Order: sequence, then structure tokens, then C-alpha cells
Amino acid sequence: MSERTSNQVDGFEPKIVAFLCNWCSYAGADAAGISRLELPPNILPVRVMCSGRVSIEMVLKALMAGADGVLVLGCHIGDCHYGSGNHRTVKRIPLLRRLMTYMGIEPDRLRLDWVSGAEAGRFAKITTEFVEAVRALGPLSLPLREGL
Amino acid sequence: MIEDIRALARELLEKGTVECVIGYEVGPTGRVRPAFVYEPADVERLIFDARCYHNLVTYLTRRNKPRKKGEEVPTTAVLVKPCDARSLQVLLNENQVQRDKVYIIGVACPGMQNADGTPELRCTRCDQRVPLIYDVLCGEPPEVPAVTDTYDDVERIEALPLEERLAYWLGELDRCIRCYACRQACPTCFCSVCEAERDDSLWVGIADRIPEKAFFHIIRAFHQAGRCAECNACEAVCPMGIPLSLINRKVAKDVAQMMAGYRAGESEEPTPLVTMLTGEEAIDEIH
Repeated sequence: MSERTSNQVDGFEPKIVAFLCNWCSYAGADAAGISRLELPPNILPVRVMCSGRVSIEMVLKALMAGADGVLVLGCHIGDCHYGSGNHRTVKRIPLLRRLMTYMGIEPDRLRLDWVSGAEAGRFAKITTEFVEAVRALGPLSLPLREGL
Repeated sequence: MIEDIRALARELLEKGTVECVIGYEVGPTGRVRPAFVYEPADVERLIFDARCYHNLVTYLTRRNKPRKKGEEVPTTAVLVKPCDARSLQVLLNENQVQRDKVYIIGVACPGMQNADGTPELRCTRCDQRVPLIYDVLCGEPPEVPAVTDTYDDVERIEALPLEERLAYWLGELDRCIRCYACRQACPTCFCSVCEAERDDSLWVGIADRIPEKAFFHIIRAFHQAGRCAECNACEAVCPMGIPLSLINRKVAKDVAQMMAGYRAGESEEPTPLVTMLTGEEAIDEIH
């Protein structure tokens, strides 16, 4: 924590927590690695069984514990391994983005997207885009975080 | 109207239709408080007027279990205003209350008043005067001008710059003393072990500091998404005067906007946050 606060805007490297669904996005990330695509090193992947598992507690905890952005990746709508897990995610995350905005946190620090197991290029594109977007926003400085 | 309620309560208790009638009475300090009437002789205690702001539906989930093992769940009669009826509908949708174990005494709502006699703000925005569900309706519904809730209070906060919003909420939520009165008063907050009070503090630490307090209020509001009937019970009991309804109403507004005008407790559909897409949603671009 002290390290990252002393290391403000100059040379700021965003810390991103990415929740990847086991069936599509994790496989997509794996494929991106196997294909030797260039990926930003800022991503800390967390494998979850389904993007529908990503509760708002997980997102908020990541932000409060030091992440500058949270990326949630799941299967495309219709391709969920469990049928309709991502139907919940697609409602929950935009709602949380709105609530975050209301509470004074930039909504662009949270992104939901779909990456299938074959979309290695898409994974590389989304992660790069997101890291750049969060880099532009700068570090998330929340008094909320202190001591957590 | 109160004579109707008392007569009905007496009849229900005498016949043994219900074990208990939950209503309102005047307490020893002159303030209105919830009343639990078990004996027909006690029905004279019951009152109903514009001070009865409490949402009595809260007590139903706690009564929805047998006294002793093997016994039946007791039947309870409860007084509901239109907003309370909506939270009761949410509980029925979620199978937290059995419909045949609750006798719903609907009351035509005059609109609640603050201690100084001015109408409660939420009641000036509300156009429901008759509950959507009831077994018996007491009272004549008063005429009300047609009003639509514009969420002007929420929009006022939305219009502030980002940093001011953060400062505003940190200031408001910092006053929280984590007494959990909001959670206890809330009819739709019924988990037997609250996520914020788990011994392992897996998600929410138990400390009385800003991070934990803000975390608690955000997740509580989110857990009520599509379930909060805006009965204002949480805000009414908050000893620190935190404007909790502003958070709940923001979520309710967004749910209505995104999920085809869904309002909690107006249908037998559960909250859209737990159902599949229907194709009618207007969800924001996901990135």
C-alpha cells in the first residue's frame, strides 16, 4: 500500500483484478498466452466458475483492497455453461456501475465483457483497452481504503 | 376505520383464525409503536392514524417458523399500508412467508405524517392509497391527486460533480455507528446470519470505520435491488439520520429504468436481478 501511494501518477501502473469465467474467458486468456499475444502485465486473474458468481462484494472488495479497476469477463449471452449465469451478470454489473457513479467512483473502473474460449485476440484487445482506460483515470484514491 | 379494525381483530382472535394480530398502539411515552395482540380483550389497544409509519411486515418472517418442533407455523394477522403490502408481496414471491399463514388486513392509507404534522416526503410522492394485496380492506380510500415520482431527490445528487458526490457520501456514511437498526427494520432484509456480521468477516470487516461502513451500506442497498418497496423503515429508525432512502431510491430508479419499469412488489415476478433476460430490458452498454 505505501509503495503504491508514494508511486503516484509518475510511472503509475494500474492494478487490475480480472474475474474470468472458468469455461470461456479463462480458456480465452489461456489461448492468448499460448498464442504468445502481447498482454498487459497489470492483470491479476481470478478464476471463477461463472461470471454470475461475481457478486458486488467481490468487486467492491477488490477496489477497496487496492485494485484500480475490476474487469469481469464471461461467456457470451447464450453460451453460458450453466445456461443463464451471465444473464444475472449482465444486469448486476451495469446496475453496480450506476451505483458506483452515484457514490462518486468513476464507472469506467469496472468493465464487463464477453470473451469466448476461442477469442484470444479479443482477450488481448479488451485487457489492453481496459488497462489504458484505467491508466488514464489515474490511481483510485479512496479514503475508503485506508487500513483495509 | 379503527372500529372496523378492532372488530375484525376481535373476530379473528375469538374464532382462532389467527394467533396474533400485529397492529399499532400508543406506547407509554405517547408515541405510536407496533402492537402484538394475542387476546380478544386487548383489541382496544389498537389504533391507526397518520403516525403509524412502521412497516409491520418485518415481523412476519420472524414468525414464520413453528414454536416447537412438529407444531404448525402460527397464523398471523397484520395491518398493511400500500407500501407495506408491496414488501409483503416481495416476501411471498420469495417464499419467506406462507400466504395461508398470514391474514392481511389492508388499510386505506391517509398518508403518513411527521411528528410536526407535515406529510412525510415519501407519501407526497406516492399515489397508492389502497394496498395491492389484502384479505379485508378497512377504511375508505381518500382522494389523492395523481402524482408521479420524479426521483428529484436522487437527481439532485446525480447532478453533483463526481468528487462532491464521493465527499457527500463519505460524510453521510461516516456518521453510521453500525447499530444495524436499518437492517432490523427492513422487511426484505431477513437473512438469519447477516453477511456484515459473520464471525469470519469474510466480506465486511466488523470495524466501525469508513471502509466497512460504506461497504455495508452499499451491499445492503444492492441486496434490496428490485426488492425495496421504499417504505422508508430503514431511514425512519436510523439514529444518526443518514439519508438511506437516497441510496435505495437510486437503485430502485435504475432497476425501473433498465428492467422494463419493474417496481418491487407490484407483481408476482421476483426481482429481475435473479431472473433471466426477457429481451425487454434496456441495459446500459456493458463497457
